[in-house]
Amino acid sequence: MGFTIWQIILITVIAYIQRLDFETAQIIPANYMFWSCVVGAILGDFQMGLVVGATIQLMSLGVAALGGSSTPDYAVAAIISTAVAIGTGKGMAAGLALGVPVGMICIQLDVLLKILNSFITNKAHELADRRQYRKMRLLIPVMTALMPLESAVPVFIAVLFGKTVVTSILNFMPAWFTVGLNVAGGMLPAVGMAMLLTYMPLKKYGYWLLVGFALTAYLKMPILGVALIGAAGAIPTFMNYAKTNSNNNSVTNANGLTQEDMEDE
Amino acid sequence: MNKEIETKKEGRVLTKKDIWRAMRRHYLAISTYNYDSGFAATLVWELFPALSKIYQDDPDGLQASIDNQFKFYNCNPWMSPIITGATLAIEEKGKTKSLQAVQDLKTALMGPFSGIGDTLIWVLFPTVLGAIAASMGKHGNSVGMWIYLAVYILFFFLRSFLYNVGYDSGTALMTNMSDKLSALTDAVSVLGIAVIGAIVPSTINFQLALKFSQAGVTLTGQHILDQLMPGLLPVLLTALLYWMLKKGRKMTTLILMVIVIAMVGAALGILKA
Repeated sequence: MGFTIWQIILITVIAYIQRLDFETAQIIPANYMFWSCVVGAILGDFQMGLVVGATIQLMSLGVAALGGSSTPDYAVAAIISTAVAIGTGKGMAAGLALGVPVGMICIQLDVLLKILNSFITNKAHELADRRQYRKMRLLIPVMTALMPLESAVPVFIAVLFGKTVVTSILNFMPAWFTVGLNVAGGMLPAVGMAMLLTYMPLKKYGYWLLVGFALTAYLKMPILGVALIGAAGAIPTFMNYAKTNSNNNSVTNANGLTQEDMEDE
Repeated sequence: MNKEIETKKEGRVLTKKDIWRAMRRHYLAISTYNYDSGFAATLVWELFPALSKIYQDDPDGLQASIDNQFKFYNCNPWMSPIITGATLAIEEKGKTKSLQAVQDLKTALMGPFSGIGDTLIWVLFPTVLGAIAASMGKHGNSVGMWIYLAVYILFFFLRSFLYNVGYDSGTALMTNMSDKLSALTDAVSVLGIAVIGAIVPSTINFQLALKFSQAGVTLTGQHILDQLMPGLLPVLLTALLYWMLKKGRKMTTLILMVIVIAMVGAALGILKA
């Protein structure tokens, strides 16, 4: 791709900062569109970054890395997809063809680095036992510096060699593959929605699904409008819940004890 | 308010500055996550300066306390500061005698507080804000993306005060607060569920490509489906995936399955975008 060396470095740094933010302060945690827009701006096509980012954002809706689990790295997918889409000049489909698979591969890197963290943490614990606190305090942030590599390294490789890989993929790619990729892009938000529904108190409030569905499917209401109606529904729910719970609030502590027994070796 | 702070200060070694220092250091967050101790190392790092002040002339106590903090700890990083703030307040008063209490509080609260933080910060807000931002972005409008960014920057500043909330309230208010927060979570769930209901037909986007010709009239399969109910295919797909998740299938399996179905469907000419 016609990237200058500076563009490649900048994109890699963006990928590093993105993951660093995700692992630490989480100021821009699941806003993949922002990162693809930044990459788009670096490469001189903000608008392409926005559209690619929006597609990835939709794929990711509802998929969250909870409790230390590993999920596809959608930010990496967004960054690479944008870079390839602009760099090859072949648009979004070409970008997604490389970005989405690499994002999936990042799961493995994530697991690997978390295992490495295990070793470093144990080492730090040993140092603490020997009261070498200075060394311990220097060692712990090493993990913070290493973790973002799981995004930076794949992005660097993909942006550096992306053109040869993507053009060879595109040359092989039959028409149905491109169509299939677009269909997959349209279907994938369903995974996130299904995932999301498993976290939700559907038994209590499932009927709100019908409200949201009818408003959009039949009345074509934009999502912001549905969110406002949902907010109106949330207010009486909060009032009622607070009222009923002020009478009997000794339930929350019950499950804490069993957990403690499990974790305390 | 000033009076309250004055009385609280008795018997305390930590100043407001120390608390802010621990707060800043807690932003190491989940970067130290691993499978056998969670992100315990972050706690050690964030609390070390404060702990070494508490155990100024008790090196054995310091070591025992740090050893205690190295035990498994995993919590939603947005909610963690309340818990660690509270444990700091307890340890400051009770020193080594309170280590068991500190550990108990941590393990008892990390579950419920994670539940609240995960649902709000990781699931509900990203879905609602992300859906709005993406539906605007698809049409080349970046306003939604900037709103998303602005909301989380605001959250970031609010989050910094949670440490003080935890430290000032200690254990007493914990259970009370966790009740209020779950009321909030419950209420926001209503908003979230309504938005999910809207996302399913509007952003899950694939169609039947089949065509039927009969007596010179061509009907597309999608047209028939639309007359039955708009957004029928997305609803069916979501329902299927939901059922599979409930059966214990992994999310990555589902993603791969969807990609395969899409490819095969496109190759056979059954599905189109």
